[in-house]
Parts: sequence; C-alpha cells; structure tokens
Amino acid sequence: MSRQIYLAFLLGWGAQATLAQDAVPVTEKDFLNDMPVVLSVSRLPQRLDETPGAVTVLDRNMIRLSGARDVADLLLLVPGFQTSSSFEGDAPQASYHGGFSAYSGRIQVLVDGRSAYSPFLFGSVAPGLQTVAIADIERVEVLRGSNSASYGARAFLGVINIVTRDPVDTLGLRTSVTAGQNGVRDIHASFGWGHDSASYRLSADRRGDDGLKGSNGHNRISRVNLRADLRPLAGDELQLRAGGLVIDSGVGFAGNVDQPLHDRSFDSSYLQIDWKRNLGADADLALSYAHTTENFRDNFFFALPAPFNGITIDFGGRASGDTLSLQHTLRKNPDVRLVWGAELRAEEVVSRPLYNTDAPQRTQFTRLFGNVEWHPVRDVVFNAGGLLEHSSKSGDSFAPRVMVNWHMAEGQTLRVGASKAYRPPSTFESSSDLRYEANGVLLQISSLSRGNAQPESVVAREIGYLGEFPRQGLSMDVRLFHEQIGGFIRRTSYLLPPGTQLFRNSAGGSQTLDYVNAEDFAIRGLEYQLKWRPWVGAQLVLNQAWINFGSSDVGATLAAPRLASTLMWTQKLPRGIDLSLIHHDRGPATLQGANVQATVLRTDVRLALPLRFGSRRGEVAMVVQNLGAPYQDFKSNLLFERRAFVTLRIDN
Amino acid sequence: MPLVTATPAAQRWSPVNWRSLRFRAWLCAIGLLAALPWAQAAELAVLVVISERSASYVEAADALTAELERGGLPRADIVLMTSGEYSAAPVAMPRLLVAVGTGAANLLAAKDSRVPLIATLLPPSSFEQIVQATGRKPSTGFSAVYLSQPFSRQLDLVRLALPDARRVGVLWGPDSQVQATALQSIAQGRGLQLVTAQIGPGEAAYPALQRVLEDADLLLAVANPQIYNSSSIQNILLSSYRSRVPFVGFSPSYVQAGAVFAVYSTPAMVGRQTAVMARNLLQGRGLPAMPQFPQEFSVSVNEQVARSLGLKLDAAVLNERLRQMERAP
Repeated sequence: MSRQIYLAFLLGWGAQATLAQDAVPVTEKDFLNDMPVVLSVSRLPQRLDETPGAVTVLDRNMIRLSGARDVADLLLLVPGFQTSSSFEGDAPQASYHGGFSAYSGRIQVLVDGRSAYSPFLFGSVAPGLQTVAIADIERVEVLRGSNSASYGARAFLGVINIVTRDPVDTLGLRTSVTAGQNGVRDIHASFGWGHDSASYRLSADRRGDDGLKGSNGHNRISRVNLRADLRPLAGDELQLRAGGLVIDSGVGFAGNVDQPLHDRSFDSSYLQIDWKRNLGADADLALSYAHTTENFRDNFFFALPAPFNGITIDFGGRASGDTLSLQHTLRKNPDVRLVWGAELRAEEVVSRPLYNTDAPQRTQFTRLFGNVEWHPVRDVVFNAGGLLEHSSKSGDSFAPRVMVNWHMAEGQTLRVGASKAYRPPSTFESSSDLRYEANGVLLQISSLSRGNAQPESVVAREIGYLGEFPRQGLSMDVRLFHEQIGGFIRRTSYLLPPGTQLFRNSAGGSQTLDYVNAEDFAIRGLEYQLKWRPWVGAQLVLNQAWINFGSSDVGATLAAPRLASTLMWTQKLPRGIDLSLIHHDRGPATLQGANVQATVLRTDVRLALPLRFGSRRGEVAMVVQNLGAPYQDFKSNLLFERRAFVTLRIDN
Repeated sequence: MPLVTATPAAQRWSPVNWRSLRFRAWLCAIGLLAALPWAQAAELAVLVVISERSASYVEAADALTAELERGGLPRADIVLMTSGEYSAAPVAMPRLLVAVGTGAANLLAAKDSRVPLIATLLPPSSFEQIVQATGRKPSTGFSAVYLSQPFSRQLDLVRLALPDARRVGVLWGPDSQVQATALQSIAQGRGLQLVTAQIGPGEAAYPALQRVLEDADLLLAVANPQIYNSSSIQNILLSSYRSRVPFVGFSPSYVQAGAVFAVYSTPAMVGRQTAVMARNLLQGRGLPAMPQFPQEFSVSVNEQVARSLGLKLDAAVLNERLRQMERAP
C-alpha cells in the first residue's frame, strides 16, 4: 500500500463511498446470517453490585448538569473526595481520604485505561485529571477504596477512571464557548468522522481563567486529543490515541522571595495503542502499549547579597513512561469469570535541579495480576484477586484483595472484604538531592534523601451496602471503612554534618529534608451516596462522608474533614430547561498547601436551555459557582470567589 | 402442532457435516432417478427448490421432506434441487412446487402459474415484491410461510420481558412505510409508544440511532440490511449498551452478538409448517390465501448481557408465557 492510500485508509477518507449504495432489499439472509460477537466478556463490565469495592459513576448527563469545567471540580460530587481549584501545586487536584500535601499521589488516574499519573516530583494525579476536555468524557468511574489488586501501587487509596466518548457518538462538528467572570474563557471544538469499520475524533480545546483571588492567576490549559477506532477484521479492534496538554499557570506571591510571582509550564504528551481480539463470546485478549512524556518548567531568580549575584531556583525536569500490558478475560462457565494479565512499565525522570545529576532516575515495574469472579451459589459473588509487583527500586510486593457481595434481597447487596496494598516512595521521595550553589560554594541543600524510606502500606477493610428501590425512585451506596496505614511516608528534617552548607537555620544547624516512614494510623469512617427521584424530572443526590484520622501528626490529623456533605438537586423544567443546585459543606480540614485549617461552604447554580439550529442541537447554560462568601482554597491567602459564566454549546 | 422447546443455540444452527453429506447423497439419488426413463413417467408430487445449497436452506428442506414422509408421502415422490440445477434442467411439472428462499421463489413464481406454489423461508417484503413483480396474487394456488416474526409476537415478548418499558425505539430504512403503519397500530393496542427515526437511502444510521437511544426504553431491530449488517452491528450494539437501552434482535445470531433477546423461528420450524401446508394441498384442500407467519418459535436470551443490564430473563419461561399468550383467545 502506498503511503497516501494508507493514510487515506487510516483517516477514513472515501468513507462515504461505502454508504452511497443502492438500497438492498431485505431477504431471509438478514435473519439467517451469522453476526460477529460484539458484547463479548470484556465488554460487559461487572455490575456495580458485583464489583469488589465501591464505585461512583459520574455519567455524561451528571457531568453536564454539574457545570464543572474540569474533572477535579467534578469530583466534589464523590463522597470522600477533597478538591482544590488552585494551580499553586501543579494543577487543580483531588484526593480521596486525605489531602496530605500540595500533591495528590495516593490515588491513580487512568484515561481510557492508560495511566495518566504524573511520576515527576512527588507523584500527582492533578495533571492527569486535565488530560481531556470535559466535553469529550463519556463518564468518570471512581473506585473508592484501595484498588492496587487490580491497578498497582498507585491505586493505594482509590482510582479515578476517565472514559472518553466513543468516536461514533461524536461524529461531525461540536463546539462550545464559555466566558464569564474571573477571566473564564474556555473554547472547545471537536470533529468526528468515519464509518462502520473506522471512526475518528480530533478535538482541541483551551480552558482559561484568572485563578483564585490572591493568586498570580492566568491559568491556561491547552489540549489536543486524537482517537481512532479501527476494526480491520470482525473480532479485532485497534484503537489509537495520541494527544498533548500544556498547563501554563501563574504562581507565587508578590514580595515572597521563596515563591515570587512567576510563570510555570507543564506539558505532557501520550501515544496509546490498544489491540483487542475477540476469542469468542467467552474470551478476549487485549494488548496495550502506551508512551507518555512530561516536561516541567518552573524557575525564578533568587537575589543574593554580594559576593553572589543570585541564583536561579529551578524545579524543572522531564519524565517519561512506557507501558506494555496483556490482559486475558474469560468466562469459564456462567458462574466463573477470570481476568489475568501482565504489565511491564518503565519510568524515567531526569532533573538536574532535583537530583543533582543529569543521569535518568529509572524505575521498572513488572506486574502480574488476576481476579476471579465466582458465583458459588445464587445471590453470592465472590471476588478474589491480587497483583504481584516487582519494582526495580523497592523490590517485590503483593497486593491481594478478597470481597464477597451478597444480594440479600431483590435490589439489595451487602459487600464485605479486605485488601492490602503498598505504595513505594516516589522518585523524589527516595532520591531527592536539591541543592543550590553559587560561585562554586554550596549554599544550601534543601532536600537530600538518604534512601531509607520503605513502601508504605494500607490494609483496607470495608463493609458496603447497595440498595435499589425503583418504586420509591431511591438508590443508595454506603461504605464503612477502616484503612490502616503503615509506615506513612512523610517529610522530615535532619541535620547535615556541620559546615556542609553555607545557609543555616535560625538555630545555626545545617538542616535539610528527607522522606521517612513515619507513624502508623487508621483512617476510619462512613460515607454514603443517596439518589432519589422524588417527583417527575427531579433528582436529589446527597453525599456525606465522616472521616476520622487516627494520625498524631499535626499535618495529617485533619488531612480530610471530619464531615463533608454535598447535595445536588437537578430539576427538568418546562421547555427542556435544566436547573441544578449544588451545595457543598465541608468541615474544617488542613489545606493542602499550608498547615492551616479551613472550611468550605459553597453553592453552585446552573440553568440551561436546550437549543435547536435546524438539525443541530445545542445548549446555552449559565453557571454561578459559589453564590456565597469566598472560601479559602489551598492556602489561607487564596480565595475562591463567586464566578458566573455562560456556556454556549453546539452539537452536530 | 409440535411443542416448542428452547434448544441450545449450537444445536439449532450448526451446519452439521452429516447433514450436508446426506444432502449430497440425496442429490445423487435424485440425479439417478431423473436419468431413468421410468422415473419420468411416475407422477412427481412435490418439487422442492432451494435458493442455494447452504445449511439453513437444507435444514428447512430436510424438515419439510421428513414431515411429508411422516405423513405418508413416499420419499421418491419428492424431488429436491437448487435454483441453479432447476434453471439448468427443468423437470416435469409436479403437483406442488415449494420454493425455499427468495431466490427460488423469484425463479418459480415467474414460471408456469398452473402449478400451485408455496414460497417459504422468506420475509413478507420479499414475498410482496414477488407478488408485485409477477402480478400473481396470493390464492389457494400461491401462498407463503414467512421466516420472520409478526410484530404482535415481538411486542408481546417485549411486554413480557421488559414490563416497565413503554417507549419502543425503531429505526426505519427506506421503503418501510407499510411496516411502520402496521407496527404503530400494534404498539398502540399494547399501550406502547414508538420512538422512531427514518434513515434515507445511503444515509448513515448513527445520528438517527443516537436520537432514538436518547428517548427509547428499548431498541427493537427491524431487519434492514442498510441499517443492520455484520459491519454496522458493532456500533449499534455498543451504542445501545452504553445508553443502557436493551437491544432486541430478530435472530439468534443477534443474541449471540449481544442483543438482549430475540424471538425467531428456525428453518426447520418453517420447513415443518410448510409441510403441513403442502400436505393439505396434496389432499385437495388448497393453500391458505393468506401467507402464514411461523407458528412455531423460540425465544433466545443473552443471559450475560441481560444480567449486566440488571435484567432477570429466562428464555424458557418467556418462551412458555409467550406461547400461552398466543394460545389464549
């Protein structure tokens, strides 16, 4: 095949030719011919009442009605989550059962099965949450609770699984524009094309605002994403994804020499290839490869007294990852379903400022995983699985999980189980060497890891309840949890040999920082989500989470609020108008970016009118976030003020 | 009528080797018979012409001849051949012609109209086209046994399987005005509402599909090769599944592919019903002027898909209840 023809095939040009045939009459062959198996075993996910853990699904409708402009904001609707809209750390972040620091690294984020976890610096899900435009998301599945048995070490406390829309559902041109207070300027355009055996979507968008009051503002996220779903043969599916993201943000504070006003830039790109082969109605094979890269640019000038002119403080560097995985899903019989596979992952972080070397910090992970779903008797589902992980840095670990789901009555399920997981220290936690020199003099070592930190562990035990009461229009999801953390990795200071560095602390010591295994503590609590359709066109969603931290450390005692509640009321009004009201009340909790406690009281309202332009559909929506008083977000001097904006969306 | 039993899919549809072997032996025997002068002289009762030599047609023809034999007709009085063989060397006219499939029906309907003809194993639209093309009206000498199911049966099954569903999504292809009107009134009579979209010639189905999936409680597939074919079915089934709208198919292959359920008749069922019609004619009673839908049927459920959509469906129970419903006055 010549390159042009190949390209034409790949891009689906000439697709219309296959459609423009004469009408073929119906014959008996339409009833007698064989059809390829489409909804094969791996395409049928476990039902929510049979999964080995709690799952919250935010579907497209819920996403739209929430008025959220990004996934981090959306996660406010998930019990047990804390979110921030600040760019001070790296990007707006979300954490489950504890916002322990400026970075959220104890949960995993996947985009269409690809890890979008940022291994740079401390490890963070925040940039990954921004991978795709919210308009391109089909649903966000949040696995609440440790899921390392399926997803590896980073799923230590949970997983955010972002599923993008199928290209077939987004054919044609779709655009949206958002503008409003606080410099909110978002623009999105997506174009989809193709036919039955190949469909494509190219989407580009930009999300911008001036950030929190008190911040340096001007945050811009620019993205391009391409997805191609190809079906060269019946039973084979090839999906290609590629894209890039740039997060430009203004950070720092006027008059703050350690963190002056400056611009920061993070960019990432990815390529993902998935090949799925259907081995009949009861077996599938999936092979996947993904390559990701990220670059971080964050530096500013730090003036020094003579004889030094000053130095450049830099946190920049780059990271990359390659993942190859193979997964086999099979149904042995109607009562036994099995998933097993292997994954190889290589990560590389290069940063002279952070590691005092140009040599890459490499980590290789080898993972073997499996889960069996077994129905020993009617109404009981038994899930047992585990993941064996070998890390070139921290050795072997095994994360097992056992869960029993009992359908105790029609529409009611009780779930009991336990799991164990380990999170090895991140590259920075295990290998940091952050030092500043000028004129050949070592001024300061602000972080120097001694490499003693061992993986921290969690033993999670839970009792869950799921109830569906269709007659009352009611459903509920309750999770009672006890997450015992062992050897929590925490930053600590220690003394360097006298005379190592020029700068000393007030006591004259030569101090630096390291990461060590600190105390063991338990995160205990209860969270639930209640959905109720009290009358026609209405839905009430109430989430509440009580979280009790057993930690004695000042910073971690209130890493999550003791009580957080979110109430969302959506109402369909005449003429197709959608009204949404969201009220969030979070008790005091330590802010992610400062050792200060703050509460959040926020009410959002959204009013949307459906539009028609000939055959095209659209919507105009007005959103006001935080109707009430500004609240502290991330740091005590950063305030989330009222933000009103209007979105105009036109679909094909 | 023989009772309907829910048999495993593999048994129903597998193109079993012994069957094709037996078929070949048959053809040899027929060829031999045809070659003998005395065989020409004997009066041929039934000539069965199948559209092509593939498993389904052979299954229907086998069931037809077996049933006729069971009724006392000597096997030697039945001749079986393909359309191709018939065109190449027409045989002496029998007392009854049976055309299995649209191809054979087209061929035989265009020939001598003095010999009674049963067209079988074809959908109503094919039969109607033949009627239009040949000008030959359905009568005591020209009738049909359809392969497809009446809408009333499909909607009864929908009501049994999905009692809460009210809005039935349907995608109509070109030239489906008659069907659309028929389905509309049958749905109304059952308290069901149709959510339809029309797809023009050569037009892609997705936009219409998406509109229907937004409003419908289920998607009822009505056979149309422009809309439902082996390359389009992937997207249709995946889109319906994503929208959690149960897809109701019209053949067991669709159930295997991922439709939640379907009611259908096997070629053998249609073959047996054709034999009953043929026997009546041979006994001098003429053919029913109204073509018949299959009386025997089977319900097939994709239990995994149903389970995943939170539906509790049992094929045997649905089959039995649907049959009881049809028996009731």
